[in-house]
Amino acid sequence: MRRLLDFLYERREIGLFFFLEIVCIWLVIGYNQRYNASFLNSSNDLAVTVTQASNDISNYFELTKINESLIAENEALRQQLSLLNQNPMTREDTVNRILISNSEVISNTFNRDINFLTISGGSKNHIKPGMGVISASGIVGQVKSVSENFSTVYSLLHPNLLISSKIKRTATNATVQWDQEAYDKASLKYIPRHITIRKGDTVVTSGFNSVFPKDVLIGVIDEFTISEEKTFYEAKIKLATDFTSLSNVYVIRDLLKKEKDSLQQL
Amino acid sequence: MNRLNLRELVFNFIFLLLIQLPLVYRITLFNKAFGFFYVGFILLLPTRLSRSYLMLIGFFAGLLVDIFTNTPGIHASACVLIMFVRNFWLAVIDDDWQEFTNLNIVTLRKRGFIAYLFPLIFVHHFVLFTVESGGLYRFGTLLTTTLFSSVFSFMIIFSVNFLLKSNSRRS
Repeated sequence: MRRLLDFLYERREIGLFFFLEIVCIWLVIGYNQRYNASFLNSSNDLAVTVTQASNDISNYFELTKINESLIAENEALRQQLSLLNQNPMTREDTVNRILISNSEVISNTFNRDINFLTISGGSKNHIKPGMGVISASGIVGQVKSVSENFSTVYSLLHPNLLISSKIKRTATNATVQWDQEAYDKASLKYIPRHITIRKGDTVVTSGFNSVFPKDVLIGVIDEFTISEEKTFYEAKIKLATDFTSLSNVYVIRDLLKKEKDSLQQL
Repeated sequence: MNRLNLRELVFNFIFLLLIQLPLVYRITLFNKAFGFFYVGFILLLPTRLSRSYLMLIGFFAGLLVDIFTNTPGIHASACVLIMFVRNFWLAVIDDDWQEFTNLNIVTLRKRGFIAYLFPLIFVHHFVLFTVESGGLYRFGTLLTTTLFSSVFSFMIIFSVNFLLKSNSRRS
């Protein structure tokens, strides 16, 4: 027994080494679960305070850019408003289904192999894991975890995020997934070969799940190939959202999500 | 521990770790090289700390960075690894390393400083990017990112230490 204890004591360093590495592996695997409430992420209060301070400083230098994008968005909204005024009877349904809340981007990466955003607004603002996030120009991502006042969001530039989409012209269903190559491109999967697609076709969300509403812009087809023996095209889209300059995003809350999801489970 | 040693330790901690945190993925060169200069802090810890302490400090420093980057465990595992091999590597570089109380440009000299730091930074970054991209596929990109980032991180650590040294010599 004594000798065993001596032996263990002699090997304590390598033991500690393996112990710490196993803890790390456990953390890595645990975090890869789709949604979680781990405090070890960027929406925790301490991390947010520090990141927000540095973000405030850099935001100041980007004020002109932010201003320009807001003006552009305003213009687009005004245009839509005038269309809406012309024919007030075209509301899709009488139930007010989707609520949209504005959030500020606190931190954002786009040049890593896995990318996340931290945004303001958390469980206090009724944000829950799994909700969709869009920007004025297109789709952004999906909420991963929330703290009281902040949330961590899977960027579209994260290979785990699959987005149910369709090609607007042909109404073909497809899936958008990021291929870790460039921050303005993603791959478009599962388009069967009997469909003819063109460069420049618009790709939008399908609205089949209750994460994103129908017809939110994702991007346009940039290039595609199909080899003889394959059933599906290999296509790339150019993303509509510019991930290098995100400052304001919108979180989408579908009020009928529960009802829709429970129906689909039957 | 003499006074200079402690002062240097505190300075390293503040500069290399606390400045790093809000900037982790913001310091990039051509969207290709990331500067993780906080490894300088754990690599230049005094030699009298035992390996177990080194690994624990490395673990918590890594975890702190992980919180800011949404990658729990990835930075920590890379840090624990380099802390484990640190003293073996020091023995290879310099036979009488145990006589130094602290590690810096003066004690290791420029040549030893590069030979000691650069390979360990490379290993750290390689583990980091491999785990983050989820495997060894896309090996070419992985290797170039690792190499460029290591050079970048090393340059920052080197210049900080160099400036610090020339300052303290004057005073």
